[in-house]
Amino acid sequence: MNSIQDIESTNAGVPIEPANERTREDFARHVRSEDRRIRLRRLLRGGAGVLVILLAWQFMSQWLDLELLLPPPLTVLRNVIAMLSVSDRHWLYGPNIYVHLLHSFLRAMTGFGAAAIVAIPLGLVLGRIVTIREFVMPSIKGVYPIPGIAWIPLAILWFGLGDAAVVFVVFATTFFPMFFSTEAGARQINPTILDAGRCFGARGVTLFFRIVLPATVPYIITGLRISLGGAWRMIVAGEMLASQDGIGYVLMESRFQFKAVDLMTAMILVAIVGYATEKLIVDTIEKRTLEKWEVQPS
Amino acid sequence: MPRVKAMKRRDLLLAQAAGAVAGFGAREARAADRIQVGMLKPNIVTAIYWIAVKTNAFQKNGLDVVENPFPSGQTAAGIEQLMRGGIDFYLGASGEVAHADSRYIEAGKPPPIALIEGGIAGGSFCVMRDDLQGKTLDDLRGQNLRIGISNPSSYHLILLRALLRERGMTTDDLGWRFLTIGGPEMLPAMVSRQLDGFLHDALTATLALRARIGFIFMNSDRGDMGERAKLLPGTGVCANRAFVQEHPGVAKRFTQALRDASAAYAAAPRAEMVAIMSEWSRQDPAVIEDMYDRFDPRVGMTPQAAQTWWDILGGAMLARGEISAKLTINDVFDLRYVRQVP
Repeated sequence: MNSIQDIESTNAGVPIEPANERTREDFARHVRSEDRRIRLRRLLRGGAGVLVILLAWQFMSQWLDLELLLPPPLTVLRNVIAMLSVSDRHWLYGPNIYVHLLHSFLRAMTGFGAAAIVAIPLGLVLGRIVTIREFVMPSIKGVYPIPGIAWIPLAILWFGLGDAAVVFVVFATTFFPMFFSTEAGARQINPTILDAGRCFGARGVTLFFRIVLPATVPYIITGLRISLGGAWRMIVAGEMLASQDGIGYVLMESRFQFKAVDLMTAMILVAIVGYATEKLIVDTIEKRTLEKWEVQPS
Repeated sequence: MPRVKAMKRRDLLLAQAAGAVAGFGAREARAADRIQVGMLKPNIVTAIYWIAVKTNAFQKNGLDVVENPFPSGQTAAGIEQLMRGGIDFYLGASGEVAHADSRYIEAGKPPPIALIEGGIAGGSFCVMRDDLQGKTLDDLRGQNLRIGISNPSSYHLILLRALLRERGMTTDDLGWRFLTIGGPEMLPAMVSRQLDGFLHDALTATLALRARIGFIFMNSDRGDMGERAKLLPGTGVCANRAFVQEHPGVAKRFTQALRDASAAYAAAPRAEMVAIMSEWSRQDPAVIEDMYDRFDPRVGMTPQAAQTWWDILGGAMLARGEISAKLTINDVFDLRYVRQVP
């Protein structure tokens, strides 16, 4: 039987690096293959889910003779293409769809941006300073249950019929998820981390930018994500009541024209733009901030 | 567009035959038929419904009416209910009937609803802020005016479009902004300068005059929207076609009840009708008194009025692409359930 020394002496002359490299490569290949398999599985399962929904939609529409109330998916798809290619022969909604989407986007982003500017700093302050929290929190919690749509009549009264009313309603809706998420994140930072920061001499602004803000970022991102969805939901409601353009206006006008296919097309466009906006804005912010501070996503 | 003459002749024959069998105006001894009736409420254009209730016209025609109110401006909601069969009759809309039927015609299906009766007066008003007094439509062309409308398919807006069409213009050429706003909110919006004017009914116009915040720029009954527009029915009475085909007697008694109410309106003292309309529209009797001469709630649709509606409003909707070219007047109107007075 070889002793340990024998083995070591035998191996001593053999270059072990290539073997290790091979093992690492094999392992990496296995991981990549497993990743691909999981991605493919997710894709297939997701695709199957979508297919089932589309088939059920087609079935309900065609076989139950609901084509006018629930236009079949292909009809809606054709309409989406017609709207996006600005080739709808019976366009009843004023400017083309891109102008409507742009107006909605600008209103949504103005309200959302304003809410972020107010909610995030306020959430951070209230999350960290107990005295201020005790003064301010009851008022915020008192206003929170008021649904965004309930602000519309008051918004029209205060700001008139136009963009300002819609922007305000978006603000009132998107403020709360961002605020509460940020406040919760700032409040529940582990005291040990703060103490560690202090031990390294961090105080005031340094402590805030080095410890508090990075630790709260995952919560802020979650708040932004929830709020952005709320912004799109509310922009539609606001524009239906206080606007002359925008995707909400298209939705309302198509309802009065009894054009269910246009209604569904507008809804799909809201979904697409909403998704794209989230990818563009929240994912970018998430990537930049998480990379910068090396924080784990919540 | 097809003329109404063919329909008129056929429908008159049908109406006479049906009338002979069923006996128009006959009081039936059996239990009252329960019907679901939708209407805009509170809204002055549907006041005839309340007059019928208050003068027992439904009861006298053997009908037990279940009231289904829809908020003013929500004309589409009532039509949707009517198409689903949730209600049997609906008072308030007319343009939406053509929109809804057109979608079915485009899909190769029979139209689900019909206008079976209508008001005898248009009652469409355009009120503008006072400092625009003396201006004409041409003067106001290109000015960025904000004009309130109760909904995107507003009868008043379609009427304006029809007038502009006669002059070879569209609302885009006019350059005004049409903002959707509920009737009751139009006045505060004008006071706070959020609106420069509005297109709405006699009641809102009267309220604006009383509050001295505007003047009547156009009035369809005065001929400002064209001579033929005077004939247009401001109030539409529509029905679910399947229901009225299955229960033609009920439909005839329903329209008869509304005509009985119209007769009662003409015969009753003014003060009595002011009180009834005040209750229905939830307005001060003094306001209704002021409005009385500007508004006629009676119904009495004639084939001529239907043809005028079709030519003017139908033409405007067709020109804008709102309705299909395949849609005919007979898809929108069905006057077999009303007694036509020679």
